[in-house]
Amino acid sequence: MDKGQNTGGLMSSAGLVRYFDSEDSNAIRIDPKTVIAFGVLLGVLVQLLTLAVA
Amino acid sequence: MGWKEAAEPVLTRMPAVRRPEGHVPFKRKLAWTAGILVLYFFLTNIALLGLQTGEASDLFGEFRSILAGQQGSLLQVGIGPIVTASIVLQLLGGANLLGLDTDDPRDQVLYQGLQKLLVIVMVVLTALPMVFAGGFLPAQSSLQLGGLSLGQTGVQLLLFAQIFAGGVLILYMDEVVSKWGVGSGIGLFIIAGVSQKLVTGLIQPSTGGFFYNWYAIITGQITVGSIVGGDGLSTLLLGEGQIVALVTTVLIFGIVVYAESVRVEIPLSHARVKGARGRFPVKLIYASVLPMILVRAVQANVQFMGQILQSQWAGMPAWLGVYSEGQPVSGLFYYLAPIYSPQDWMWWTGAVTQEWWMVLIRVAIDVTVMVAGGAIFAIFWVETTDMGPEATARQIQNSGMQIPGFRQNVGVVEKVMERYIPQVTVIGGALVGLLAVMANMLGTIGAVTGTGLLLAVSITYKLYEEIAEEQLMEMHPMMRQMFGNE
Repeated sequence: MDKGQNTGGLMSSAGLVRYFDSEDSNAIRIDPKTVIAFGVLLGVLVQLLTLAVA
Repeated sequence: MGWKEAAEPVLTRMPAVRRPEGHVPFKRKLAWTAGILVLYFFLTNIALLGLQTGEASDLFGEFRSILAGQQGSLLQVGIGPIVTASIVLQLLGGANLLGLDTDDPRDQVLYQGLQKLLVIVMVVLTALPMVFAGGFLPAQSSLQLGGLSLGQTGVQLLLFAQIFAGGVLILYMDEVVSKWGVGSGIGLFIIAGVSQKLVTGLIQPSTGGFFYNWYAIITGQITVGSIVGGDGLSTLLLGEGQIVALVTTVLIFGIVVYAESVRVEIPLSHARVKGARGRFPVKLIYASVLPMILVRAVQANVQFMGQILQSQWAGMPAWLGVYSEGQPVSGLFYYLAPIYSPQDWMWWTGAVTQEWWMVLIRVAIDVTVMVAGGAIFAIFWVETTDMGPEATARQIQNSGMQIPGFRQNVGVVEKVMERYIPQVTVIGGALVGLLAVMANMLGTIGAVTGTGLLLAVSITYKLYEEIAEEQLMEMHPMMRQMFGNE
């Protein structure tokens, strides 16, 4: 095990978007489940509407 | 420092996904990652409401394979806006115009907020021309929604709203994977898209699928001319036989996995604990393949501009661009378009309508852009992601290690790092650029493009390393302290 391989926990593997540990107390926090639920609902809603229109 | 104070109220309030408290078990991490992946595939299969069927042409064109998403679906924009926003941030950060110190917690919050805001702006900027300009996403002329009747503009607004929601959703899906899962969402979506194309290109049961084509060749449904004299050899190698594409694909896999292990190792020893030794690896593709996506995205954005200009400006001069069936065939935009396949440049086969010297200019521009761009973006990347000599020296110092034979001092470690990191970064970036162009010129299975393949292989490799590390930490809780994540 390389002990020197300390590239820091900051970077994600495709670090196009960087997330740091510090967060502002003012920020709105979203639960990860909310993100998934929103995605599923959006998909289902659009699909249902498409079926209703056709 | 004026802009920081002015923007602070907005930037600090950007909604963010909650961080997990404490350690997330590895199985839970995998579950989140898998959940997001399933959601991604689900959303790429939901067609936009109000879209006229069968007439859309993909604005992303050949760049689709690296920008993920799906034409005509809720995930129309894919990771395009995220990549574009990242370029802007890289350039601003690389030129040190932001004045943000990513070690300062307050600046970190601002950076995160700015990043998010930029992505949302880019979603709007990408979605607007898609819906309102040209025939990229033709809206239905009217739509009955229950009692509500929408005209053309109404339907366009509805389309825009859906694309916008999808684009923002991708950003948050990435955040969920980054904070709760393994790897990053963007990496995941790129692998998902490329793998899907690769597998389709191999086994699809219609013309174009590798195995189907060979079945057809053997059963005589595709006629192959004489191998010795005629064009039979060319058909087998470059045409329907796709042998060169197969070889290129396998070769890229091999080269990337090999290059991942090529490194300069700087020996380290612990200052206090005698005998505790380590190595700091400076990898050949140190800055990884990711800067490549930024170069490609610059090219993609230039091509969008061409497409939009062409659809909006009837009197576009010929030197700027001449289009045929949505593709530039001459003019500036032709020369700036990257090579996607052998059919784009092998002028002797007769598949190319341009003169040979035009093709050569285009190839030369593509190679130059990719090699130079790859090197430049790799340098920016190293700087902005804290992989530069200064940042790594600090990390080594903080972990209590030193380079044997040198004083234990940040400046000394930095000097040694400066001998390797910049050179390796530039060589690696240029090499990866060259590799991507070559792979595109020779073609790949399923037309995933060289960049797509490079990205997919190196992200998968990184993911593998990360999973191995996770499992190690799972088995030895002590390791967690060593890696710094509780």
